[in-house]
Amino acid sequence: MDYSKLFDSKTLEKLKSVREKWEKETLKDKAGEETYYTESGIPIDILYTPEQLADLDYMSEIGFPGQPPFVRGVYPNMYRGRLFTLRQLSGFGGPEDCNERIKFLLDKGATGINIVFDLPTIRGYDSDDRRAEGNVGICGVAIDSLADMESLFDEIPLDELTSSVVTHLPSTTVVLLAMYTVMAEKRKIPLEKLGGTTQNDFLMETTIGSAPEIIPPDKSFKLQCDAIEYAAKNLPRWNPVSYNGYNLREAGTTAVQEVAIALANCIATTEELVKRGNNVDDFARRMSFFWDLCNDFFEEIAKCRASRLVYQEIMRERFKAQNTKSQLMRFHVQTAGNTLTAVEPLNNIARSAVQGLAAILGGCQSLHVDSYDEAYSAPTEEAALVSLRTQQILQVETNVVNTVDPLAGSYYVESLTREMARKIRDYIKTIEDRGGLIKAAESGWLHREISDFAYHQQKQVENGERKIVGVNYFVSEKKQESKIDVFRYPETEASQKDKLAKLKMERNRENHEKSLAVLREKCSSEENIMPYVKDAVEAYATLGEIQEVFREEFGLWQFPLV
Amino acid sequence: MSQNIKVVMAKLGLDIHWRGAVALTRLLRDQGMEVVYLGNQFPESIVRAAIQEGADVVGLSTLGGNHLTLGPRVVELLKKEGMEEVLVLMGGVIPPEDIPKLKEAGIAEVFGPESRIEDITAFIREKVA
Repeated sequence: MDYSKLFDSKTLEKLKSVREKWEKETLKDKAGEETYYTESGIPIDILYTPEQLADLDYMSEIGFPGQPPFVRGVYPNMYRGRLFTLRQLSGFGGPEDCNERIKFLLDKGATGINIVFDLPTIRGYDSDDRRAEGNVGICGVAIDSLADMESLFDEIPLDELTSSVVTHLPSTTVVLLAMYTVMAEKRKIPLEKLGGTTQNDFLMETTIGSAPEIIPPDKSFKLQCDAIEYAAKNLPRWNPVSYNGYNLREAGTTAVQEVAIALANCIATTEELVKRGNNVDDFARRMSFFWDLCNDFFEEIAKCRASRLVYQEIMRERFKAQNTKSQLMRFHVQTAGNTLTAVEPLNNIARSAVQGLAAILGGCQSLHVDSYDEAYSAPTEEAALVSLRTQQILQVETNVVNTVDPLAGSYYVESLTREMARKIRDYIKTIEDRGGLIKAAESGWLHREISDFAYHQQKQVENGERKIVGVNYFVSEKKQESKIDVFRYPETEASQKDKLAKLKMERNRENHEKSLAVLREKCSSEENIMPYVKDAVEAYATLGEIQEVFREEFGLWQFPLV
Repeated sequence: MSQNIKVVMAKLGLDIHWRGAVALTRLLRDQGMEVVYLGNQFPESIVRAAIQEGADVVGLSTLGGNHLTLGPRVVELLKKEGMEEVLVLMGGVIPPEDIPKLKEAGIAEVFGPESRIEDITAFIREKVA
């Protein structure tokens, strides 16, 4: 007999007979006509009892927080030790405009910084590039050079606050991370003190986000690994990668695929870094993840718990990580933009609050709650404040943060956690059977998986199978006009262009040209690119100039179409 | 019927969010239309493709805030090529107050996030017929 099982076989037998009697005499035929499923297709029983967990081994499968397998959380005291970071996104206009929004949020109680860039910056074009026209300072802040990065973080203590820098692509991560570190060096802040996160995910470059010009997946992946390796050696408090499940989910995946694909990326990265001669324990403790919490409340919580379990298995069993810190998965959560509606936008506050609650019950390390005006534009100051207040209400008024992993032991949540973990492992295997994640991206298979999902889900919305309040369910007879204010972006393009013209006049031409020539030469070597990008940034080479070198040296890749 | 309706669909400029454009491409194909999806393109290439394909409809998707700059340019370029009869539609995240400006610039209709495929299809059939 195994003593670590929660229930002995005699109790379970008795329970089974009582349950059968209950079904026959009490429930009768009232279990509902249809079969119910979670969002990712797991059948839902009407009732969960110890029977579904008959073979559950508490010690090895769930355990204690702060210990492997980390299902119950990555820290022993969780939010009693440190509350999740209130990390609301800021990003619009020029760096000077965005600096004001950062200060506004910090003033209202935000505890971390979260920067989103405009599309030209994300895709590596300067504000004066023709291709940037109409997009400068829209949906994010425009950053062209080191000088802009310095304006963005003006008067912000880099050694006291952590900054999430949502860099999306590895090819721009290496530049923006270089700008951030050079800025710190210029301010005489020791690099050991720099805390923060860059997203740095090659799938953002090659699968999730499309663009007119894309460098090939293997090159993007190489740059992703370069940034991680550089940070492991120089920035001990920096998370150089945030494996991005969020945008996969937003583009179109199930919760299972979201986690599995991000983990497959983590596996490929770890393999590559070990192949380069790094020890897994030197870099793994600083890898982080990014999840999208949608509306299926319990499944999302189970997803968070299962993702920690599977990560721990991978790092311990596959990569033989010795340090337990290498085995604990830390993640940021953003509530689900794709669940928000343009119709009756205030309803989105309710959706986001429920998703935020799930994030806390799932044990997130930091949280961004989306704003109700998401389907219209970047948030107004008022909408951003409602999001921040939602987080604060969850933290101080609901009392959910004061015990660790309160849903553990729920027969349903534990069953779902196990089932999610099983499906995540299976999907990772599917990807590996196709030759691994880079091949899956190169061949377009991954893109097809995502677009198939997006297509089918949209069909379900069209035929009403998937209900969205206000959109295809409880639709108001009288079409409500939106009464919300929509954020208007400050004029940015002209001022960024002026600054660029001035920068190009004033910078030392020789240093600038030399740094770019060396960078170009290093693109075809196996060497880590980061030190050369840093030199170029320091010589005031712009993001677009550095990116142009990458595009020319690495070549362009054709994004899969449908 | 709609067998001959030809649609050229594109992500406008640098906008990275392809979900809606791809889903709509496939849903319009289900409605019997011929849809060529271009991926991300700038106005000049979109118009070139519309000419080459003999498009009846050009669908522009953007969630990236460039609708007012790049959207009207597609209409202008089409006009310049003598293709003003081509129906230009937009979709994505577009602030309501910008919609009248887009229509004034010659965008036939803007279909926001909750538009139904049957409404989009009906609109196209009515205008292209």
